[in-house]
Amino acid sequence: MATPMRAASSIRPAPPAPRPARPPRRPIRDNPRLLLVGILVLVAAFVGLLALASRTTSFSPDFLTEVVLYALSVADLTMLVGLVFVLARNIIKLVVERRRALPFARFRAKLVAVLLGLTLIPSILVLLVGSELIRNSADRWFNAPMDEILSSANRIAADYYAERQRFVLAQATRIAKSLGEVDLQSIDVPGLQDRLGPEVAEDRLKLVEVFRVTPDAGPSRVAPILDVASPSLPPGALRASAERLASHVATGAGETWALEPMAIGGELLRGAAAVRAPDGRITGVIVASDYLTGDLAARSRRMTAAYEDYRQLRVLKAPLFGVYVSFFLMVTLMILVGATWMGLYLAKRITRPVQLLAVAAREIGAGHLDHRVERETADEFGALVEAFNSMAGELATSRQDLERSAIDLERKHLEGEGRRRYIETILERIATGVISIDERGAISTVNDAAGRLLGVGSEAVGHQATEVFAREDLAPMATLLRSAGAAEESPPQEIALTRDGRDVHLAAVATALTGEGGHLEGSVLVFDDVTPLIRSQKVAAWREVARRLAHEIKNPLTPIQLSAERLQRHFGTAPPPTRALVDECTMTIVNEVESLKGLVDEFSQFARMPSPKTAPTVLQALLDETLALYDGLFSELRFERRFAADLPIVRVDPEQIRRVIINLVDNAVEAMERRGVISVETHHDPGNHVARIVVADDGPGITAGDREKLFMPYFSTKRRGSGLGLAIVRRIIAEHGGSIDVTENTPRGTRFTIELPC
Amino acid sequence: MIRRALPLVALIAVAPLLLGAAGDTVRVTPLARDGQVYVSFSLDGGLTPDMRETIRSGLQTTYAYDIELRRGVTIWFDRTIAATAVTATVQFDNLTRRHQLSRAIDGRVDAAQVTESEEEAARWMTSFDRLPLFSTSDLEPNAEYYVRVRARTRPRSTWSLWPWGGGQWGHATFTFIP
Repeated sequence: MATPMRAASSIRPAPPAPRPARPPRRPIRDNPRLLLVGILVLVAAFVGLLALASRTTSFSPDFLTEVVLYALSVADLTMLVGLVFVLARNIIKLVVERRRALPFARFRAKLVAVLLGLTLIPSILVLLVGSELIRNSADRWFNAPMDEILSSANRIAADYYAERQRFVLAQATRIAKSLGEVDLQSIDVPGLQDRLGPEVAEDRLKLVEVFRVTPDAGPSRVAPILDVASPSLPPGALRASAERLASHVATGAGETWALEPMAIGGELLRGAAAVRAPDGRITGVIVASDYLTGDLAARSRRMTAAYEDYRQLRVLKAPLFGVYVSFFLMVTLMILVGATWMGLYLAKRITRPVQLLAVAAREIGAGHLDHRVERETADEFGALVEAFNSMAGELATSRQDLERSAIDLERKHLEGEGRRRYIETILERIATGVISIDERGAISTVNDAAGRLLGVGSEAVGHQATEVFAREDLAPMATLLRSAGAAEESPPQEIALTRDGRDVHLAAVATALTGEGGHLEGSVLVFDDVTPLIRSQKVAAWREVARRLAHEIKNPLTPIQLSAERLQRHFGTAPPPTRALVDECTMTIVNEVESLKGLVDEFSQFARMPSPKTAPTVLQALLDETLALYDGLFSELRFERRFAADLPIVRVDPEQIRRVIINLVDNAVEAMERRGVISVETHHDPGNHVARIVVADDGPGITAGDREKLFMPYFSTKRRGSGLGLAIVRRIIAEHGGSIDVTENTPRGTRFTIELPC
Repeated sequence: MIRRALPLVALIAVAPLLLGAAGDTVRVTPLARDGQVYVSFSLDGGLTPDMRETIRSGLQTTYAYDIELRRGVTIWFDRTIAATAVTATVQFDNLTRRHQLSRAIDGRVDAAQVTESEEEAARWMTSFDRLPLFSTSDLEPNAEYYVRVRARTRPRSTWSLWPWGGGQWGHATFTFIP
């Protein structure tokens, strides 16, 4: 029962269910929506850059150099830092992965290096060449002829303006001088108008305005007196500008001039000069104006504007070059960042499934058959992952089947082992000898009983049976073994062996072991010690003989004795010779009858031995009492008592045991001819639960042949004796469940050993 | 991470000082009087040829002066007591060959002028005399202060990959005695 229980307890728990799939980790690079957004942002950035680049010429210089240039620099530096960070991070990662010898680290490193090389080298080359092209293009914007043309045009326009300015100033000065002696505070205005009329009539000037300097005029200090305009002067001339100019001159600042744009086009070139009294005091201001037509002014302005644009372009050449290079650098960096990211992304995209598969293969190899790889794509890698997962699932199922089979096997093995131990225990404990022999003729097993009966130990295991049974005393076993080879199962045989001078009778059977195919797989020899049985059978037979003898002999003895005594009485009166003869004969008959009666009594006693009446007995005391009977009887005989101190109380019939001891001692005394030493010993054998009594003498001993027959009825080595003494002794001991054995004493004599259960 | 970034942050923080200390090209003269700190400053060398060229191109050209009244602090950044921005702008008309000049303090136009003289325009742009820029009410008597001036031009006529920095620096210390 223990075996199945043990087997049941050894069943492993069912394997856990496959681990639930972890929530999918979706980094940014694996999120298609975010990728799309990123690409759109990049495209928008490109478009924005293109739009910005196309409008650079319309930006104000301040905006260009203070905003655009800074913004581009910030963007470039940010992208450069980002690129360096991405590169450094991934290079460090790749180096670490390579040092750790992670799967596909080398492949990834190569892939990234190739992609980066393919991107970096052309990008840097394009950047360098592009920058140089921009520089050359910018240099070509400026050349000597263009510079000369624009400078000349501007000079012409400026010189014309300067000439007109000088003319107007000269006219104003001339008019102011002409009015130096006039009191402008109380001048006759119509008269003055008539006086100035010719100035504009000849179209030398288009407008002449006269101001008087007076403290009553407020902050401007001047007050208008009159203005004389040419009919060809377009309307819209503002007096305010003339007044500002006059006010400025009135402060003593000297001649000055101003340019006033007209609403209808063209410009009014004004020149102001102070009117000084003879004492040098400023009494008024003359503002003379000439009108520059719209076309002239516009053309002049355009020439100057072209010249200024050219000069400004030259001044801003470096910042503009910086803007273009920054644009170019930004585009290059965007390409680099995008390409780097894309390279790393592709490398990861390619190697990640394979890495996952490698990791998963290691996990599977380590026995984690529930490990699965998340399918991330629907391409061939996804199919590969799916196939791997399927394989892992099948492996897990197969392993579960294997584990179940292993558990079944283990249980069966344990059951078999239990049965084997059970049978082995039985074989070891039973009194039947069992020897198994394999198909090669070698002994496989020898149980204790076989070893004890045959005198072979466990060392015989592995030896050829024919070698082991080649011993002279085991020759019948060799014969039995041969018979096993002849037939599948030989009939039981009784074989007799002589072991240590004793006859051992065995009931043996040899069985051939045949396999399923009928071939011989070995044989088994089974034998029982039937010696006690045979002895008992012999004793029983002799008891029957004794009973019949006693019955058949005892009955006629009394009539014979009575008849002899009658004859003696009848011939009591006969003559002496006759009487003497009769007396002698009858006496002989009576004596022999008495002798026969004694013999018959012994036979009867042997035949009707009573069952022992056992009682707890101290063997030492019993032995002491028995041996005390011999005290002082034999002067040359000595008794030695060696009793074991730990001998337990034994349950025996004291009278019968005393008779046994007396019988053995009597035999010894007679055999020793009343001289020598008789040793009586007791021993305790706790292992076999027996108490042992040994009676040994140093007499002449008994031959080996006689020792075996010694306990047979009617066998005696003495001249006188019925030969039933030792037979009765053996029977008494057998009735107590014990045994008696006789061996040769050392150095001489005979040694009887009685074993009683205790 | 923070520990690693500290030296970089410190370097960035002191970079202007280091650049400024490379050599003063703005002459500064502070004067505390009548409850005001008057600051006179001028650029060494006046207008550079590049700036003259810029002005002649007709671009509206501005010299922006960032003026700070500061007080030194031991083992820490100096404290800025007050700051103001003075700009001088010139625009040359190539047709009339006249310079239109203007000055502004903290965005407020302080003066304007028209001149045909380039030298006068140069002086107008680069030389400032006794501008009452700061009040002495926040100053501690007998304490030492300094005025730091940074001059920048707009628009730039140069370009570098690192556009920050640049400009011209100058500073002068004074002890405020009420």
